[in-house]
Amino acid sequence: MSTAPYSLTGEGLAKKFGRSALFKGICLSAATGESLSITGPNGSGKSTLMKILAGIQKPTAGNVDLVSGSSIEKTQWLSHIGYTGPLVNPYDELTGLENIAFAARPADAGEQAGRLLETFGLGPHRDKKVKHYSSGMKQRLKLILAFLNDPPVLMLDEPGMNLDSAGTALLHSYLESVRKEKIIIIATNDPLEEQLCGRTIKLG
Amino acid sequence: MGKDILRNLRKDFLVEFRSRFALNVSASFAAIVTIAISLTAGGVPFPANVQAIILWIIIFFSAMNGLSHIFVREEDQGTALFLRTAVDVDSVFVSKFIFNQAFMAVILAVVTPLYLFFLQVRVVHAAHFIFSIAAGGFSMAAATTILAAMVAKAGGKGSLFTIISFPILLPVLWISVSSTSAALNAAPPAGGSLLFLLAFSGFISVISFLLFRFIWLED
Repeated sequence: MSTAPYSLTGEGLAKKFGRSALFKGICLSAATGESLSITGPNGSGKSTLMKILAGIQKPTAGNVDLVSGSSIEKTQWLSHIGYTGPLVNPYDELTGLENIAFAARPADAGEQAGRLLETFGLGPHRDKKVKHYSSGMKQRLKLILAFLNDPPVLMLDEPGMNLDSAGTALLHSYLESVRKEKIIIIATNDPLEEQLCGRTIKLG
Repeated sequence: MGKDILRNLRKDFLVEFRSRFALNVSASFAAIVTIAISLTAGGVPFPANVQAIILWIIIFFSAMNGLSHIFVREEDQGTALFLRTAVDVDSVFVSKFIFNQAFMAVILAVVTPLYLFFLQVRVVHAAHFIFSIAAGGFSMAAATTILAAMVAKAGGKGSLFTIISFPILLPVLWISVSSTSAALNAAPPAGGSLLFLLAFSGFISVISFLLFRFIWLED
């Protein structure tokens, strides 16, 4: 992974499903050390915009560019982005640790996994199958999976969903600790999560 | 890419080993149909070409019960997006392709001995018979991997997969039946049909690999 600062730019982004336009004319940019929140009512397209920014979904119009020194090929984006959201589900039949081993890319991800499991309070539950996790524990695991490979860009869709107050505090303190090294984009309707970010885009 | 393929294969085998859903359904189907045909026939011997046709019908429907599962499971359980974020598109296809080949090998290893035993089939050219079964099974799994991805994305389940697979698999079934039939007859079999099956597998695997990203990536 490149050590040069990253920048993410979206220009004239629009998304239509059939004839119905979800959003149009969205322009945004963020560089390493900057954070951005995307807010808006249900159905306004927050998750879709996040997927477009992560290169998972194509926009109907406009384009997104991820640059670190030079432009990164779109098929490689997800190896630079830690992405999580309500539709990113770990495997129920695997344990927390097996899910982490599956998602781990670099050789030193094992150490990072151990640290994150302890930080997010899943250390004692690492060998339990995910189907036996509570919804809050699943959300903590999803966050660990997004942070696991120490990606330079974090895209978190409703990261505080199902978390208790301790989990929320852990999430906020983790984001605070890495905010200078990463681009952080959060889709949320939680005012506290919105406050974590420097700028806000309102949809809908 | 190699590490990504191994990670995904390990995960798929672990998940399948723990649930054993696809394997149990396919193996049970194969056993039930073989025994049902054997009981219905009541010991009356079939001609070689009929034996080959029945064998490939059993293999076809047994495999159809499980070959789509590898992608349908990802969509049903909502893990497809996690898979997309964790493994690159080419590695997903290659690992699912290898998994389906392994799954097909298990199905063939269950169906063929059961069939030979219960229908008292006499194999004249054993090596040609084994190569016919293996090449036919390989072609079937090769052709259906990308179809499984299409069916999963379309939100379809088992019956849709069988229907759209049939026209693609028709040449495979046709050639496999004639090659298997030749192995059960006294006349020496020709190797051209095996070459066709391997060439078909190679062609469809390459085309599937090149087209898979357009199915896997959302619009």
